[in-house]
Amino acid sequence: MAECVKVCTQNFGKGAQDIEVYKKLGGYANISERLFNMSQFELIDYVQRSNLRGRGGAGFPTGMKWSFVPRNSGKPVYIVVNADEGEGGTFKDHFLMLEDPHRLIEGLIIAAWALGSRAAYIYCRGEFLPCIESINKALNQAYAAGYLGENIMGTKFCFDIFVHRGAGAYICGEETALINSLEGQKGQPRLKPPFPAVSGAWKSPTCVNNVETIMALPWILQHDPSEYAKMGTPRAGGTKVFCISGDVKNPGVYEAPLGTPMMTMINEYAGGVVGGKLKAVLPGGSSCAPLTAEEAAVATMDYECLASMKTMFGSGAMIVINDTHNMVDLLNCLGNFYSHESCGQCTPCREGTGLLHRMLNLIVEGKGHDGDVELMQSLCGGFGGVTICPLSISLGGPVSSYTAKFRADFDEYIAKNPDHAKPRVQETYRPGIFW
Amino acid sequence: MREHIQGAVQFVSNNRLKFDRPAQPIEALPDPGQTFGYVNKEVPQPSPKEVLAKLETPEIKERCADLLSRYPVGQGALLEVLWLVQGVFGWVPREGIRWAAKVCGCAPAHALGVATFYTMYNHAPKGKFLLQFCRNISCTIKGAPALIAHVEKSLNIKTGETTPDGLFTLLQVECLGSCGNGPMMLVNDDFATDVENDQLVMKPGTTLTEESIARILKWCYAHEDNVPKHDVLGGIVKGHGGHPGAPGATAKPQVADYAPPSPVLNVKAEADENGATLTWKGAPEFTKIVVEKKNGSKWDVVGEPGVKDKAFVDAAGKVGDVYRMIATSGERTAKPSNEAVTTQKPAPVEEAK
Ligand SMILES: Cc1cc2nc3c(=O)[nH]c(=O)nc-3n(C[C@H](O)[C@H](O)[C@H](O)COP(=O)(O)O)c2cc1C
Ligand code: SF4
Ligand code: FES
Repeated sequence: MAECVKVCTQNFGKGAQDIEVYKKLGGYANISERLFNMSQFELIDYVQRSNLRGRGGAGFPTGMKWSFVPRNSGKPVYIVVNADEGEGGTFKDHFLMLEDPHRLIEGLIIAAWALGSRAAYIYCRGEFLPCIESINKALNQAYAAGYLGENIMGTKFCFDIFVHRGAGAYICGEETALINSLEGQKGQPRLKPPFPAVSGAWKSPTCVNNVETIMALPWILQHDPSEYAKMGTPRAGGTKVFCISGDVKNPGVYEAPLGTPMMTMINEYAGGVVGGKLKAVLPGGSSCAPLTAEEAAVATMDYECLASMKTMFGSGAMIVINDTHNMVDLLNCLGNFYSHESCGQCTPCREGTGLLHRMLNLIVEGKGHDGDVELMQSLCGGFGGVTICPLSISLGGPVSSYTAKFRADFDEYIAKNPDHAKPRVQETYRPGIFW
Repeated sequence: MREHIQGAVQFVSNNRLKFDRPAQPIEALPDPGQTFGYVNKEVPQPSPKEVLAKLETPEIKERCADLLSRYPVGQGALLEVLWLVQGVFGWVPREGIRWAAKVCGCAPAHALGVATFYTMYNHAPKGKFLLQFCRNISCTIKGAPALIAHVEKSLNIKTGETTPDGLFTLLQVECLGSCGNGPMMLVNDDFATDVENDQLVMKPGTTLTEESIARILKWCYAHEDNVPKHDVLGGIVKGHGGHPGAPGATAKPQVADYAPPSPVLNVKAEADENGATLTWKGAPEFTKIVVEKKNGSKWDVVGEPGVKDKAFVDAAGKVGDVYRMIATSGERTAKPSNEAVTTQKPAPVEEAK
């Protein structure tokens, strides 16, 4: 395994939760040395040239997103850190915030300077109380050291960071739902446009960025953006914190350049597949299409390659599955998950995810019928473009691809029903209350 | 999430509407006890007086004031104030929700809607130790279902239930964001895969096993009378002045000119028979741009392109001339751009037909 530059995880295990240690490791040097001489425009250009793309899932170029935020609109500009990590298989933000909270704070100061933001909110999911404690401790130290507050280090610049504890809703990871939740409402996504960059929290320009995106900024400013862009692929620069979980010897978070081959990640970083032969890999969290072992052998971990294989890079969360598992059981987990987390605004999503969930449950219980798979596939076809947010597709996509790639697993389960050849009685899969 | 709708529909159909079709038992989706205490279940509520006595203390008042100062609109603090209520009672009684609504200046119905939307607010008292097991995909791969069944058996309760001694409540939840250590559980607010030095720990490379669960349960029994308690909002941050304009905040708004004014970036000059063509990258806030050409040790102004223009042509320009651009935004003039040395424009490549 080639030694790679560590951008976000360089301080892991070094006790960088303490500001003195963090400063000794080179932290906050940007703030005292470079940042205050730069204009907003130069800084945004800097980030654009680094080719940094959002690490939260959508992979939108960060510099471009920032350039959409209107300056001098007369309204305050908010930065909201998306720390509502809830996607199955993703756990990088959890450890990034636990191990290196000051890097997040330093990154936020840089982002605030670029956007002219006065207040930033870290929206942390409710389950991550240890992370919130770690950040709050770091915030207290940063305030005491004068990196936050009014007239930071003698400049005219004022900036505050607040932590907002969420209360358990995966959908609040979607940026507009996150903003609703920050405003003290139900976490239901909003229709776009207007996009948050123009009209987000309290109708003001709002920039929502993932924890890892923000934490890459101090390194980029410290080095040259071209050095960051050099790592990675031509269209997406830098390194990525991958989370590898499932059937591997050493699951965990590993930082590697974008474009690393998938099998290198699995065999060299995570110590190889255990418990059986490789059956499938989910490359980007629970809502992406799985790759079979043959596809995984040729895949590289970057946005373009995975998109060309009809799956997605997502949050870089690789879930490795060996051949002792039946894919229907795993899809059933996702059915549970997405139908429970649907916010209930859009009928196709609320009903559709519930129906898929119910049908998967029946199949797993041994009550499947011939034709169920086709029925589920036709249901998934009804999600595209008709819902407010992509959550419905996050289940629809996996259902279509699991059924297409692992049809034998479904047939195996359906064959357990002695009456599987008989047509299904409709009542058995009606959810009941919504009909 | 969808429970708040299910609950409402069930409530309506139980109590209000009479459908002309025969009454049917309403079948909820099979969802083993994820949310604790459904909206439509009758839960004995403490008296309003009792609730207010516990909530209206100087300490909580101070924290509420701090929370309210952070958001431009009071309602922003609603989730956090509900957390304070849950911190006092371990769950959110109806009167507590009403109180939170009053603190944040929103309608009680809105606060109830919010409190029932998010799954982490409990609407009924729970055991001293809330055990939440992840049942999502990574943990399932690593054997979560068997482990949950094992815990159900050893505590002799089902998911969603509380042990008769009031110690444990068992829930199954979605991904806890620690899949690398999966199967994963939360004991109240702590991620736990084992016990070490009398503390719950989640160390890299460790996962829950039947043995480590036995150790964790033993730890719980040992701490029955002094359950370790975290601050619900992870501690207090001192030093901030709040959000400008919020009640109680001392913060001033950001001034527009805190940073140096934006210069023109990335100026390039290329010459052909028509003169030198300049391209550059400009900021949206520019109000004036001036192009200058080097003349010995001086700079001569050669033109003033529009702020929205994409290119500028100096008809007298030739290869080797040096240009720079100076931008003004409002009252402030920025430092000069990079100095661009004019190069020969490459001949347009003939496309092979
Ligand atoms: C259903 C859904 C859930 C999401 N969950 C998360 C999440 O947990 N964390 C995250 O950073 N982004 C999440 N996103 C992506 C955000 O909407 C958004 O794209 C991201 O926060 C932008 O930040 P970035 O540009 O830094 O990636 C989610 C999106 C959707 C549609
Ligand atoms: S698609 Fe689903 S989760 Fe997204 S807004 Fe619609 S109902 Fe809510
Ligand atoms: S899947 Fe269990 S913690 Fe993520």
